[in-house]
Amino acid sequence: MKNKGITIFLIALAVIIVIIIVNEYLSDKPDKGKPNPYQYSVEEFKKIDPSLIRYKESVNFRIGFDNPAAIAIYNDTIYAAGDDIIKIIDLKGTLSGQINLPVSPHTLKVFNDKIFFAAGNRLFVYNMSDESTSEWEPLEELSFITAIAANANDIFIADAGNRRVVRYSPEGHLISVFDGKAEEGALHGFIIPSAYFDIEINDEGKLWIVNPGMHSLENYTFEGQLRSHWKHASMKTEGFSGCCNPAFFTFLSDGRFVTSEKGLVRIKTYKVSGEFEGVVAAPDKFIEDGHAPDIAADSKNNIYAMDFDKKVIRVFNPVD
Amino acid sequence: MKRKLLYIFLTFIFCITALTSYSQQQRFPKPEFSSGYEQPDVVTPEPRSGGFEYLDVAVLLVVLSLAAWFALRKRSRQGILWLSVFTLVYFGFYRNGCICSVGSFQNITLSFFDAGYSVSISTLLFFLLPLIFALFFGRVFCAGACPLGAIQDLLIVKPLSLPKWLNKTLGLIPYIYLALAVLFAATGTDFIVCRYDPFVGIFRMDAKFHMIVLGISFLLMGMFVARPYCRFLCPYGVLLSWMSRFSKWHLTITPSLCIKCKLCTTSCPFDAIDFPVNEKEIVQSGPGTKKFIVYAMLIPLWIVAGAFVGERSHLYLSRANQNVYLAELLISDPEIKNDPDNIDVQTFLESGKTMETLVEEAEVMRGQFKTGSMIAGGFIGLVIGLTLINTTVFRKRQDYVPHRGNCLSCGRCMDYCPVEK
Ligand code: SF4
Repeated sequence: MKNKGITIFLIALAVIIVIIIVNEYLSDKPDKGKPNPYQYSVEEFKKIDPSLIRYKESVNFRIGFDNPAAIAIYNDTIYAAGDDIIKIIDLKGTLSGQINLPVSPHTLKVFNDKIFFAAGNRLFVYNMSDESTSEWEPLEELSFITAIAANANDIFIADAGNRRVVRYSPEGHLISVFDGKAEEGALHGFIIPSAYFDIEINDEGKLWIVNPGMHSLENYTFEGQLRSHWKHASMKTEGFSGCCNPAFFTFLSDGRFVTSEKGLVRIKTYKVSGEFEGVVAAPDKFIEDGHAPDIAADSKNNIYAMDFDKKVIRVFNPVD
Repeated sequence: MKRKLLYIFLTFIFCITALTSYSQQQRFPKPEFSSGYEQPDVVTPEPRSGGFEYLDVAVLLVVLSLAAWFALRKRSRQGILWLSVFTLVYFGFYRNGCICSVGSFQNITLSFFDAGYSVSISTLLFFLLPLIFALFFGRVFCAGACPLGAIQDLLIVKPLSLPKWLNKTLGLIPYIYLALAVLFAATGTDFIVCRYDPFVGIFRMDAKFHMIVLGISFLLMGMFVARPYCRFLCPYGVLLSWMSRFSKWHLTITPSLCIKCKLCTTSCPFDAIDFPVNEKEIVQSGPGTKKFIVYAMLIPLWIVAGAFVGERSHLYLSRANQNVYLAELLISDPEIKNDPDNIDVQTFLESGKTMETLVEEAEVMRGQFKTGSMIAGGFIGLVIGLTLINTTVFRKRQDYVPHRGNCLSCGRCMDYCPVEK
């Protein structure tokens, strides 16, 4: 037979081709699936070097909320919001007062004798002196207020729904709005993939805003001009990871930052410069796939974390 | 002239490279989480942004026009060869075999059956342009514009002539593949032509090992059986072949009158040259008309038989659909829900979809497969019937001519013809 060798070679190739195609057709089925080769395991990142842990958990306060929502500290008094109540608690955990609200708030801020709280696109002010509640002009329907910052002359709210910050006068007049974008399009603006968008004014009167999609904390003038920022995008302990972190932040009395993260739930402190300092609570302190706790700090730099999963306020004291 | 061509070719490649680096600068960088995690590569290359997808269409149009010009006017095998080198580099290695006319009919099919799926203008043009060119100039797409064809064409070493019966039998496979590909695409099950594309893994250099072996096997086979994928698998080739049979103009072996020197008889590596037919021999060969009538009467039977086989196999075929397979699996083996490593099952469980919905969807899908398999089977039966009829039909032919349906317009035979223009 002419070309016998070639014919055998061709038949062998034809057999290989058929086997590969049939095998490919039969193998890609749910019960024949191999373990996901791209499984993203974060277990390794949950481990924290013990020498980095600078805080120790001391006590827990049961707050009795079905749906705890937010925590704030003003003049060393804890204001805890949940359900449709704000509870006023001293630093030892003793309940000293309670305010019933017309709505279930999502966030709150206390300044002077006023408690600002928000639910959805509605912003309310509770006046502690005359115990009256007033509501400001609600924002657009898409708005979702996630945080409030206040000083004597300005109130800022973080509107995650519209990825912007709105500035008000203390009387509730809208002064301005900014979205963190520079005129020339050089800056991204606020990147808010989920409803976590925190804002604070520190003791020096500086406005700091989380840009969670950028894993950064950004300092803006009250007019909305970016002044400085620091960022740490990393899976490692010193950085922020996932789509959007940190979820919450607050300041210690000396201006250092305390951050709370979701996904890999943990609380950490950063120096004023933004340099990583230490860990307050490691991921193993929280339940698997838990929520980022809201945080607040007292004048002695103790940190109070509202644990939404365990429905308690957890107190962490500095070790040294 | 050759130098000029080479110059144009290299200039074009340079422009394309410059455009690429520009377009890449526009992309937003992947986030870096510094975790050491290896991100899976996307299965298909990233879609072209903005006007770049139209650049591909423009390149295809230019290549098709040049191929038609080289094959019909210039009669230059050399030109077609260089064109296929360009196609291999551009549409193959640079564009990663995507977007590709060969698989585009699946997108078009799905868009007909799924209201939520639409195809871009560029996909539509990639599907239509080669067919339109085939209708006017023959399969010039196969000659110079198809990267799958080009990679095989350049590796033909010692093409063997296959026996007619084998050519005809293997030639049925593309019809079966086409019918199945349309069925799978119409039901939104899979784009099998893309999935089993043997060369795309070589173009992208990222295929699974066995798919690389598949590609290499085809290439090795192609050393002796020229362009095996094009001739015995390519479903798009079926559509091109249909168009080409009615083409207004077509490549000819001789530029003038055929002098029957027979020099071209062994030139075609694809057995696509039809020889002159001796009428006397036909008359002597027996009762062709009788055979024709019998085969023609058998066609409805072939169709019914095909539809029957289709109906019988629809259950098996429908299992290729994720919903059907998953529903059957979860019913027959409920324990699998507890297997945390089973990604498909876990994905279903986490989707929030209820078992009832899944079963309902699977039943609808099975119904679609039943109808589709019967139509596909009937179509294959019809093709078999017509192929048999074809064996009884003799067309009067005095010259050596390319078979309009099978000729890939590669231009090799033209070089063998001693007749001057
Ligand atoms: S042009 Fe057609 S007939 Fe001529 S060698 Fe090529 S495929 Fe064969």
